[in-house]
Amino acid sequence: MVLEEEIPKFANWIGPALVSYLFATGMLAVVVAAAAWLVQSVLCGPLTAGDRVYRGVLSGIADLASMSPRRTWALARLAIQESLRRNVVVVLGLFALIVVFAGWFLDPTSVNPGRLYLGFILSATNMLVCLVVLILSVFSLPADIKAKAIQTVTTKPVRTGEIVLGRMLGFATVGTVLLALMGLVGWAFVVRSVRHGHAIAPADMVEITADDGAVTGSEGRTNFDRGHRHRVEIAADGTGRTDTVQGHRHSIRTVGEPGGVRYEVGPPEGLLEARKPLRGTLRFLDREGRPSTKGISVGAEWSYRQYIEGGTLASAIWTFGGISEEDFPAGLPLEMIVRVFRTYKGDIEKGIAGSVRVRNPSSGLQSDPFYFTAKEFTIDSLLLPRTLAATTADGGTRQVDLFRDIVSDGRVEVVLQCLEPAQYFGIAQADFYLRQGDGSFAANYAKSCLGIWFSMLLMTALGVMFSTFLAGPVALLATLSVVLVGQFREFIRGLFESQVSGDSTIVPGGGPIESLYRIVTQASITVDLDPSPAVSAMKTLDTFLLAPMRLGAGVFPSLSSLGTGDFLAGGFDIPVDLLLAHGSETLGYLLAFFIVGAFCLRAREVAA
Amino acid sequence: MQAASMGGNQAGQRDSGGEVIVEARNLSKIYRDFWGRSKKVALKPLDLEIRRGEIFGLLGPNGSGKTTTMKLLLGLIFPTSGEALVFGREATDVTKNDRIGYLPEETYLYKFLDAEETLDFYGRLFDMPPEERKRRADALIAMVGLGRDKKRQLKEYSKGMTRRIGIAQALINDPELVLLDEPTSGLDPIGTREMKDLIIDLKSRGKTVIMSSHLLADVEDVCDRIAVLHQGELKELGRVEDLLRVTDVTQIRTTGLPEAAHAEIRELIRRHGGENIEIGNPTTTLEDLFLEVVRDTEARPGRRARGGEGTRRG
Repeated sequence: MVLEEEIPKFANWIGPALVSYLFATGMLAVVVAAAAWLVQSVLCGPLTAGDRVYRGVLSGIADLASMSPRRTWALARLAIQESLRRNVVVVLGLFALIVVFAGWFLDPTSVNPGRLYLGFILSATNMLVCLVVLILSVFSLPADIKAKAIQTVTTKPVRTGEIVLGRMLGFATVGTVLLALMGLVGWAFVVRSVRHGHAIAPADMVEITADDGAVTGSEGRTNFDRGHRHRVEIAADGTGRTDTVQGHRHSIRTVGEPGGVRYEVGPPEGLLEARKPLRGTLRFLDREGRPSTKGISVGAEWSYRQYIEGGTLASAIWTFGGISEEDFPAGLPLEMIVRVFRTYKGDIEKGIAGSVRVRNPSSGLQSDPFYFTAKEFTIDSLLLPRTLAATTADGGTRQVDLFRDIVSDGRVEVVLQCLEPAQYFGIAQADFYLRQGDGSFAANYAKSCLGIWFSMLLMTALGVMFSTFLAGPVALLATLSVVLVGQFREFIRGLFESQVSGDSTIVPGGGPIESLYRIVTQASITVDLDPSPAVSAMKTLDTFLLAPMRLGAGVFPSLSSLGTGDFLAGGFDIPVDLLLAHGSETLGYLLAFFIVGAFCLRAREVAA
Repeated sequence: MQAASMGGNQAGQRDSGGEVIVEARNLSKIYRDFWGRSKKVALKPLDLEIRRGEIFGLLGPNGSGKTTTMKLLLGLIFPTSGEALVFGREATDVTKNDRIGYLPEETYLYKFLDAEETLDFYGRLFDMPPEERKRRADALIAMVGLGRDKKRQLKEYSKGMTRRIGIAQALINDPELVLLDEPTSGLDPIGTREMKDLIIDLKSRGKTVIMSSHLLADVEDVCDRIAVLHQGELKELGRVEDLLRVTDVTQIRTTGLPEAAHAEIRELIRRHGGENIEIGNPTTTLEDLFLEVVRDTEARPGRRARGGEGTRRG
């Protein structure tokens, strides 16, 4: 799973973020008030305009402060009734149809069917729920204004904030119920779809005997089902497990007496998990063993993963902290996602050999290497046991204790090397972790639905906000535009950073004017322009243009960033800190959209 | 529609001549296009005062500015110049709406609600507790005669029924000031009479009513004072009887006078220098005739029309 940035602790950033939010909101309010004054000045002169804006702001704040929960809920109920009258529940039928088609057309023989099914269900749920609330929210208020039903509401002691919040609440309630129902159906669909078993015929198993002829177990294979089969190893006590294929394995129990033996294959393990990883920090050694801030770039445009060269001293070193014997009594369960870059094809069926050692960050004492074979698209597991072999200075071997000799002040280093010359391992900081335990997959699924819920809330609030001053179809387009721009928020931010720092590798191609120039002259974005006064002027102008674009982009919410489907589909527990961050971001936007919507509706002549 | 007592009788005991509760000062409205250019002058500067307890009529042809005036008083649109004060507060101040009931020209209600849900919804907007909402909704539904249809969605209602639930929602809060835009629009003669009775009943309970209409008879029947608007301008303002009184004509109404006395009366008028215009039998209004026929038919089912000219006695 890709984790480009470390997830900060909620408590560490919420305070400063709140201050920034209030400051930004205040600044925005001042800008809007100034704009309103300018417009009014043209219509009725500066003094009257000032008076109107001042009184408008004051009475607007007074209205917000005197909102009634009963009136708000009455309007929310109306929105719910309206949605039901519009047969919104039909969307559940549509979802059921999608699930049925998914059952027919999704490939259960894919590399990781759990990821496939989860990804599909979450995407379908997200799209349908957001689409429904979007349509409901953008057309409701304009329809009321057009049908003049709003006149019988606004002539009651109803504050505009109550009208806006009531609609937001109502449609959000509808969306929440739809999401809950779709989530349940989706959950049942995924669990049912990935559940399978295998049969093991006694004829497919052979006994394993020791040198003295004693039977130590048996090995063999399962039958072929859902496009795969497993290799099986069963210990002498009759229990065993399969190898990992398509992202899962099975446990096996032998029942019956010799001669009438039968094998019971358990449900798939590893498909629907919620791993709780303990992540460390990553640093590199280059091919000569010297410290380096980066690995090698193999030319991939996406610089998320850095590469280390095989057969050299190049290493990737993770430092894990907060390790205690109580948390890991059996040793350190290391899990690794290692990408492979081959400079020659070799035996493509065979993985690339690598080694892992654990090292004391203070004394430098390290264990002997553990060898493994890196396979693409799978998570390799390695238990680093309590007792480890370590090579002594005189070339001998001695046993060391993991916690007594290797772990120092709760910290330990894990060193990765690629063993095959001219082949490379690609890794990112999040790719190596210690598995602290597992959370509940059901709870993780619910957390993922929470991400969709945040998106749905934002979509609702955006739709209602735009509908306070735009006609339905225009409000629909405006909402979609904001969502679209939000998708490019990080790109615009990177573009600005690139422009200011002069580091064209962050986002190549320059600002709007430079981009236009490059299009006209057909200059590649990866090639720096020859320095000249004209180019300097162009870049300076771009910086000025990008500054408001960056600020503007920050105002737009990025709905995709609220999604946590990658965690769920990748089998990782969704961190609470991430949910809190997403929840806070959503709440911040909701509050802003609500206030903007309330003021816009207040400034509008609903009966004109 | 029965003029059921809706409470608030104490209001009826207040002085109906004193307190100004609606005031328009130099109030005007010009509709503009996107570029701020004047599109239509809907209301030219208007000065108006309406006092507690009176029935005030805004009279004028279509497009004369009646509805615009109402909307300005309700804060639904903003004045181009001047100000509108209701209960001493600016018309855009929503807190004034606690004491106001409004029936729009067309009954703009939510068609997917039934009568009970409609009144419950509007009751909630007044922050009324559940028991009070229920009590008032039941009383109003009974008052407007929709008891048997209260569970039907409004989209199934006839225009008259929609108008009735419209007046019920306007009275849900037992308002002090009721604004009725074309209240008899879409009503049959019986409904029209009941609406007029209701308006008069509201006045008897101390409510102030502002109604707009282009139906002259309706305004004449119920209004204490009227303002006549034409092309957005106030043309006449005053008490109905004052405006309608023809001071240089004397009217004598009597009963049981024999035909022979007519000549004597003509002679008497001539002797005093008067000019005889007309002596004859008065006619009733078509509305009264219609209502009498309906009531008679309801009292004696199966009675057929007489088919010939009838003579009515006063």
